Parts: sequence; C-alpha cells; structure tokens
Amino acid sequence: MEGVKIIDSRGAACPGPITDLARAYRNSKVGDVFELWATDKGVRADTQAWATKTGNEITEVKEDPEKIVIRIKINKR
Amino acid sequence: MKKVLIIGGGGGGLITANHLDTNEYDVTVVDKSDLHFYQPWFLYIAFKGSKRKISRPIGSLVKPGVHFVQDEINTINLDERKVYGSKKGIYNYDYLVIATGTTPDPDSIPGLRQTYDEYGDYHTSVWNSAKLWSHISKFKGGTIAIGQASATCKCPPSLLEGAFLLEEHLRKVGLREKSKIVFFTPFPRAYSAEPMNHVVEPFVKERGIEVMPFFDVDTVDGANKTINSLEGDSLKYDLPIIVPPCKGPKIKIIPETVQDEDRFIKADKKYMKIVGYDDAFAVGDCNTLPTSKTGVTAHLEAMAVSEIIQGRYGEFDGRINCPFDTAYGKATFVIADYNNPVAPYPPTKVKHFMKMTMARIYWMTLMGTADPIFEQFFNYTRPEKLNKKYVISEQS
Repeated sequence: MEGVKIIDSRGAACPGPITDLARAYRNSKVGDVFELWATDKGVRADTQAWATKTGNEITEVKEDPEKIVIRIKINKR
Repeated sequence: MKKVLIIGGGGGGLITANHLDTNEYDVTVVDKSDLHFYQPWFLYIAFKGSKRKISRPIGSLVKPGVHFVQDEINTINLDERKVYGSKKGIYNYDYLVIATGTTPDPDSIPGLRQTYDEYGDYHTSVWNSAKLWSHISKFKGGTIAIGQASATCKCPPSLLEGAFLLEEHLRKVGLREKSKIVFFTPFPRAYSAEPMNHVVEPFVKERGIEVMPFFDVDTVDGANKTINSLEGDSLKYDLPIIVPPCKGPKIKIIPETVQDEDRFIKADKKYMKIVGYDDAFAVGDCNTLPTSKTGVTAHLEAMAVSEIIQGRYGEFDGRINCPFDTAYGKATFVIADYNNPVAPYPPTKVKHFMKMTMARIYWMTLMGTADPIFEQFFNYTRPEKLNKKYVISEQS
C-alpha cells in the first residue's frame, strides 16, 4: 500500500517497540500510516494506550506466527 | 595482511580491536578524542558528586600491535572502501567497523539547547554531569523535572536510576519534604519494559516520585520554566534535568541510504553487517539494532564481529544485561534477548556490589581478560532461566 511506513521492532524487548513508534511519531505528519511489527506481547496494550493518549487511530491489528502487526493512522500531530 | 579499520575508541571499537589477531590483521582504531570514558559513572558524578577518575588514554587500552590514531572522520565511502579523516588524510581498509556511539542533539528540540548548556545532564559527558551536580548540590527545594527528552536515548535503566539517586540524595540532605520529583517519560510507564516496571514501580511509589508517562518533549520554555510534550501535556519545574535526544554519528556516509532519518546506521541484527555490505559493520550505539543502546550490547556485538572478521562464526543474540541501581545500596539487572522478554529480576545488595565491581574491572573487560567471568555470569543468568524462576503472578 502506498505511503505505509513499516516500523520493524521484532525482537525488541527493552526499551521495546514503543520506542520506535514514538520516534516515528516525532518525525511524522497528519495522514501518515505506520505499520508496527513486533514480537513483544505487551505491544497491543501499549500501542492502544499510546493511541488513546496521542489521539491517533489503530486501524488494524493482525497476528501471524512471526509477528504482531499494528496499523496506525496519524490523525494528530 | 588484511587491514581492519575501526572508527571509534569506545567499548565497541576497543573490544573489536583487542579480539583480533594482530599477527594476521593490521588493526587501526581511529577516534577524534584521545580519551575513553567509563560512561556508566556519569550517574554518580551527577547525583553524588563523585570525583573518581573515569577516563584513560585510548592508546593505553589497545593491546600491543593495534595502532591508535587520533583523527576526526568526516566521510566514509563504503563503495570505494575509503575513509576520510580531517587531519591525517585517507584511510583504506579490507574490513571496516563503525563504532562511533551516538551524538547528543539538544538543538532538535526548541528551547532545549539553553537548558542543556545551563544545567547539563547525566548522560552526555563528565563535564555535563559535574555541571548538573553543581545545581543539585545547591538546590534548596521545589520541583525537579527529570527524564529523557525523546524515546531515542542510551541506557534505558539510567533514566530512572537518576530519579532514584536524586531522591536518595534529597532525603540524605533533608530536602525530600521540600521537593517534588516528577519523572517524565515517553513510555507508558516508569520503566519501559513491563516486567521490570513491575519490579521497580513499588519503589517509585513508596519514594513519592511522580510519573508522567507518554511525555515526549516538544519544547522547553526556559522563561516560564515549563516543558511541553508532543502529547499535549505541560510540566512546570524549578530545576530541569533533561537528557537530550541522541542521533547517529555526524559523518557523511556514501551511500547515504545506509543511515536512517536520525543518522543511525542500518545493520542486520545478528551479524551487524551494514545493509548491502559484507566488509563493513556497525557496532554498538551507532546502529539500528532492535535492542538497548548500552555498553553490554556494544561488547557482545564487538565479540561477534571480531569472530566474523576472522572467518569464524559469530552472532549477536540480542542479549542485554543492564545494571540498574535502585538506590539505597540495591541494584538489579535488566536481562533479555531477541527471543526472551525482560525478566522480573529483583534488586538485591549483591547485585549492587556487582555493579560497583563492574566499574572497577571495566578496563579489564575492554582487553578481553574478563571474558571467562562474563561467560559464566551470562550463562547463569540466561533470560529464559530467569523468566522461569521469577514469575509475575496474576494477582500481584
């Protein structure tokens, strides 16, 4: 899909996938779409809390044997 | 004889150099500074006023046969295998190891430069740590805002270690009741990795440290003594302790596609090879590996890279082993790897003693003479073992 930024955090245990998401958010603009790839189980709840706090939107959550994939749309920056 | 050029005389660079056979390889370490610093001690300078000498000349930390050159590298051309120094000309190589560490970047956040220059921090240098201690030792009470400006930061435990040591100091000098400590963090909780947060959060609470989660610094307003976050919150302070964001090295690399938007060098997570190259590696804090930017990862990555260069099998498994001072004489370790989450390893006095011992034997670890001790310790504390032994119960 056009313009989707993949954030590959697979294997990150500490400080974890939110580090990469927060970093991408800093360099983002409204309308950007991220796809966060992670293996850390806590990523679902953390990303949900992050999206609620920052006013951004989780549009899809998928899980395959290799990774958890969370798609995030930046509505506020 | 094949030439190995190593850029950076920090932990990653020196450990790589000292594990190469100098009878087989012509090894050169280049650094813009002639001194190596034991960075974990910055904490004790900033929060305890420690005067311990924590630097040694890089030339004294390489084994015989390894050359050290003081020069500032400004350009690396990976396609032509050429590295350009600003003082001593052009370097050629058969193998290149980039191990420059990070560059603090207070200028990327409006208002932070002024605060950083005035108050220092506890991450970026001996001088900045001493500057911060001069403010803490003169502090008479009020609100101290302490934390990392952005998610990109070295040594994840050190941020909260700073808040713990600050709290201990204020209590010791009788100022705890007159002061408020606010720990701000871009993460959802005081410590980013949940299992370790479970271990340290009770200390945060019992010591009355306030936590502002999801607080990524957007601007610092020195005139109104306020920090504003990207997430829309504000924090008033009397004393600001803000660790600036860090970026990759300020070196032009050809092709520029090997660096990400913050100049970190893209390398594969097991073999540290710079993407698209078999003869160039990025070791330690300067790379994009999905792990902590910390001394132990630089150490283990360097050991693997030295094996690979010498034609043997070497691999980094993502192991982290970060000492975490929880103050009042106790410490723990943050332990995990690519396949195992952080273990909820409880703080003890023995672990604090181990952290302090590490500070003493550090110089030996650069030479490789402490390798057998580490091997034993790392095996004994494998994250999968610790995760079985220390389990967080659902109720707790």
